[in-house]
Amino acid sequence: MSVKAFELVPAVERDLLMGDKARINIECIECCGKHLYMGTNDCFIHHFLLDEVTSSKGKLTYSAQKLLHKYLGLKKPVAELRAASALERLIVLCDGIVFLVDMVTLETVPSAAGGGAKIRGVTAFCVNENPVNGDPFCVEMGVISSKKRTVQIYMVYEDRVQLVKEVTTPEQPCAVSVDGYFLCLALATQYMILNYNTGASQDLFPYNSEDRRPIVKRIGREEFLLAAPGGLGMFANAEGVSQRAPVNWSESVIGAAVSFPYVVALDESFITIHSMLDQQLKQTLSFRDGHILQDFEGKVILASTKAVYVLVPLPLERQIQDLLASHRVEEALILTEGAQQNIPKDKFQILHKRILQQAGFIQFGQLQFLEAKEHFRKGQLDVRELISLYPLLLPASSSFTRCHPPLHEFADLNHLAQGDQEKVLRCKKFLISYLGEVRSTEVANGCREDVDTALLKLYAEQDHDSLLDLLASDNACLLADSVPWLEKYHKYFALGLLYHYNSQDSAALQLWIRVVDGDLQDSTRSGLYEYIVDFLCSCSNPDLVWKHADWALAKDPTIGVHIFTKRPVSKDVTELNPEEAITYLGKHSQALLLFLEHLVLERKIKKEKFHTHLAVLYLERVLSLLSEAPADEERLNRARERLQALLRESNLYRAQFLLGKMENCEQLLLERATLHGKLEENDKALHILVHKLKDFSSAEAFCVWASSCRDSAYQHQLFHLLLEVYLDRSLPGKSQAAAAGGGELEMAAVDLLNRHGEVFDAVRVLRMLPEGWSLQLLRPFLGRAVRASMHAGRTAQIAVGLAQSENLQLLHDRLKDRKKPIFVSEKKGCHLCHNTFSEPDVVCLPGGAPVHTHCVAQRVRDSPTKRQLTNSSNHT
Amino acid sequence: MPEVSKMKKPDVKLVLLGDMNVGKTSLLHRYTERKFKDTVSTVGGAFFLKQWGPYNISIWDTAGREQFHGLGSMYCRGAAAVILTYDVSNWQSLAELEERFLSLTDTANHDCIYALVGNKADLTDPRAQLSQDSDEASKDRMDCGEERTETQVLSACPTPPASPVSLSGITPGKQVTPEDAMALYGRILRYKGLEEKSSLPAEKMCFETSAKTGYNVDNLFEALFDLVLPSILRNKNENQHSPTVDLEECRGAKRGRPGCC
Ligand SMILES: Nc1nc2c(ncn2[C@@H]2O[C@H](COP(=O)(O)OP(=O)(O)OP(=O)(O)O)[C@@H](O)[C@H]2O)c(=O)[nH]1
Ligand SMILES: [Mg+2]
Repeated sequence: MSVKAFELVPAVERDLLMGDKARINIECIECCGKHLYMGTNDCFIHHFLLDEVTSSKGKLTYSAQKLLHKYLGLKKPVAELRAASALERLIVLCDGIVFLVDMVTLETVPSAAGGGAKIRGVTAFCVNENPVNGDPFCVEMGVISSKKRTVQIYMVYEDRVQLVKEVTTPEQPCAVSVDGYFLCLALATQYMILNYNTGASQDLFPYNSEDRRPIVKRIGREEFLLAAPGGLGMFANAEGVSQRAPVNWSESVIGAAVSFPYVVALDESFITIHSMLDQQLKQTLSFRDGHILQDFEGKVILASTKAVYVLVPLPLERQIQDLLASHRVEEALILTEGAQQNIPKDKFQILHKRILQQAGFIQFGQLQFLEAKEHFRKGQLDVRELISLYPLLLPASSSFTRCHPPLHEFADLNHLAQGDQEKVLRCKKFLISYLGEVRSTEVANGCREDVDTALLKLYAEQDHDSLLDLLASDNACLLADSVPWLEKYHKYFALGLLYHYNSQDSAALQLWIRVVDGDLQDSTRSGLYEYIVDFLCSCSNPDLVWKHADWALAKDPTIGVHIFTKRPVSKDVTELNPEEAITYLGKHSQALLLFLEHLVLERKIKKEKFHTHLAVLYLERVLSLLSEAPADEERLNRARERLQALLRESNLYRAQFLLGKMENCEQLLLERATLHGKLEENDKALHILVHKLKDFSSAEAFCVWASSCRDSAYQHQLFHLLLEVYLDRSLPGKSQAAAAGGGELEMAAVDLLNRHGEVFDAVRVLRMLPEGWSLQLLRPFLGRAVRASMHAGRTAQIAVGLAQSENLQLLHDRLKDRKKPIFVSEKKGCHLCHNTFSEPDVVCLPGGAPVHTHCVAQRVRDSPTKRQLTNSSNHT
Repeated sequence: MPEVSKMKKPDVKLVLLGDMNVGKTSLLHRYTERKFKDTVSTVGGAFFLKQWGPYNISIWDTAGREQFHGLGSMYCRGAAAVILTYDVSNWQSLAELEERFLSLTDTANHDCIYALVGNKADLTDPRAQLSQDSDEASKDRMDCGEERTETQVLSACPTPPASPVSLSGITPGKQVTPEDAMALYGRILRYKGLEEKSSLPAEKMCFETSAKTGYNVDNLFEALFDLVLPSILRNKNENQHSPTVDLEECRGAKRGRPGCC
């Protein structure tokens, strides 16, 4: 594949040089600034002034003006010409003689007094462009002499030449080039590097000088280009090492030069141009009868026998653009990067970025997304360039305009895909992943709205899961642009999220409600209703809550009520006033109940109003269930259980009020008993339980419950009361049922005694019991009573014994102490409080230590033995 | 392809030598591009820069054709490792190494290491017909797997390489055994005047590879990279010590002067 890297521009046409003299051939050329010198086979030097002319269209041409020509008088062809501009001399090789000619007059410089200005027997020479001698008015020159196997180094001055060194070579050299101390030589059968200073040499590689003309061309500091067998252009440095891969030009190359990054070579009919960067052949120009190709200060000049041409490199950017135009991305990049050294840094960076971006778009167009992405990244592409390829993705408000000149040839995605929907889709998928990656990086800086909005649109269109993630997290999607798009794709749930993100909760709610109600279709979110309830639950705007709660409650009171019951307790969510909520919920009885339950049972708010309200609601429910024709037992039971539990557990409701509501209801005896209990009307309660309900276990449970938070005396009293109720014979109607019912009550009494013996005063009980009861019946009760009494008696006896012994001990101590005086002084401290004594009244501890009276009193009060004694004495 | 790194100066040089058609270019392709693709007989030479950790390693692929033989010594100049490549299915290619290529390595570093690599092992060794690594997905990993299309050739019998001008392929010569290679390795050491004891052992320096299936290719290059590490470090050191001025040369210059006429 070719690229147009150079253009061949005529410089000196045949007419100008020789007119109609057909036998005149160009032998050598030299160019120095605008001055072009030419040596011919008829021993003339021609001097031209070469002007660059750029046409209005940007085309470069040369105009040559002949200044002078001069016959050198040797009748032989001029073999070589080199300018030494600092000396204003041309170094000329003609007829085996090197001599100097004035650059302006072309007059031969006569030999100076001190030395000659001529070298004889020369076959070739070269000028050192990297001289080792610091003198600017002196040119170093390497010379191959025809006779000996030597190379000579000369210094060339204005009017003389001076031999400074002569080195011998293993074979006769036929071409030479020099850089610093290094001579690069083509010998008869091989190339070699020779350090003329140290004499060290380095063989490069063999070739055959009879087969082809050798080429040794210095191309840079200590680097040479050589013609190698097999049609190769080999590179070699001064150490004899190749640092670049060879280029493959033709077998018969006549001349070669480097015009970075290209190697230009000339053979009989072509100019070939290879890139040094990838060794590929880049361009071929046909060129007949060419026999000179040389570069002068970067300018490549060619000559046929009759005319001179300049090989003008095309601007690098143009070459790169050409490569890109033919989609040769890699080569374009290699060329760009290869040119780095030749372009100022800032300019290079701009160019490089642009090429990377263009390369990215080419690969994008070929759906090579991985590569494209990498190039976009390296080229720091403004993502909007990419987004703008996709119709309608950029928000209307975006200020973006595509860069000019354009980075690619595509009008838009449809143009790129040529109607291939599969392609369009792949591009969209790519953009989705690309934007997803860059949106949180600095790439999106300054255009976050554009990026996020584009991403939103793609997500919506492609039904992508991440749409919701995008909206639920920090984003910069533009509302105005997104609304119609989301509506178009029925992404109402997402749209609601976007409204919410933009603090338009009301709009969000209205939208969602329409979806739940079926006015709009969007299945994104299952359980949207619950979502709305949750949303209202944590909604910080009470007005919104009040506005939409009705809808939610109407839809499903049990879930709707979560708006009120599940409100998180936090700073951001304002507390709803429960009273207000209750009023509000008035028309939603079920929700109201749930809310009250929440207040009373869960949050345990201690407010009479709520408790009474809840109890009344429970009661009403029970009553309504009772009034149903075939009562639903199960529901009724559940309702009653709740009522009962509340009545039992809460102490805050108005019991009298409730009692009034069920006064006449014979079905709610248990509840009534509980209420009586709450009012401490225990006899009424027990009466109901025992006589009306005949539910003895409930009666017993009542006693336990009603006395649970009271002292034992109260408990005793309650149990005695129950016993009395059991044994009460005075009750009307009892006598008739004496046979059956009486026995039942008595059995209950017996069970009560046997079960709860410990709370009864046995003596009192025995007095109350009817005479005729058998001992056997009460055995457990009596047994326990006797044992308890016995236990109490014995414990008391032990206590008495202990007290007596203590007394005795004290007596003993006292007697002992009486025998000796007990000293009490103001300096002596009390053993208990360590304060001094201030009065003579003291108590002696066992052992005789005097202590304050109040101290010992205190100690006795605190002593555990003492307390125990108090207890036991009570028992007795 | 690290195009940019073409500008970088390599820290060390490896050279692939061997007769034409043995698969030098294919080996390098396999290693650098992880695939086996069509090659044309190399002209002159080519090189590849491998970024290996912090180091740049240049690997030169030389032309095996007789025509370019003369360039060999130059390529080998300053090499830290030379990979002498032959074709396991072609005895002559091993013989050529000794006859033609060994002398080219005279210009290599004095401590240059030599590896003997028998390529196209897939033609002789069933193990090499299967790609070593099944892990195809991880392209970043060095030992990357085989391309799907190529593994299908498994059952096919070994076909001679489709080469345009296959001189050695005309008479598919006798196969080369690992023992043959190891014996040659011994002779190389002797040629270099190296003690067998103090040199790297033959078992370590003789490889059989297949550029076609990828068998042992990564192993080969990575083993060599490890072995040339001392050279790399030394090169780096030298470059640090004398970045521009060569003292030898300066002294020489002074001595040289009086010799002028
Ligand atoms: N079966 C098989 N064939 C291979 C293998 N490696 C290379 N080949 C084939 O051998 C032929 C030559 O391969 P190249 O890599 O071009 O050989 P080369 O050593 O570079 O040859 P020159 O460049 O001429 O020196 C090609 O047809 C390859 O397909 C291998 O491992 N197995
Ligand atoms: Mg090759």
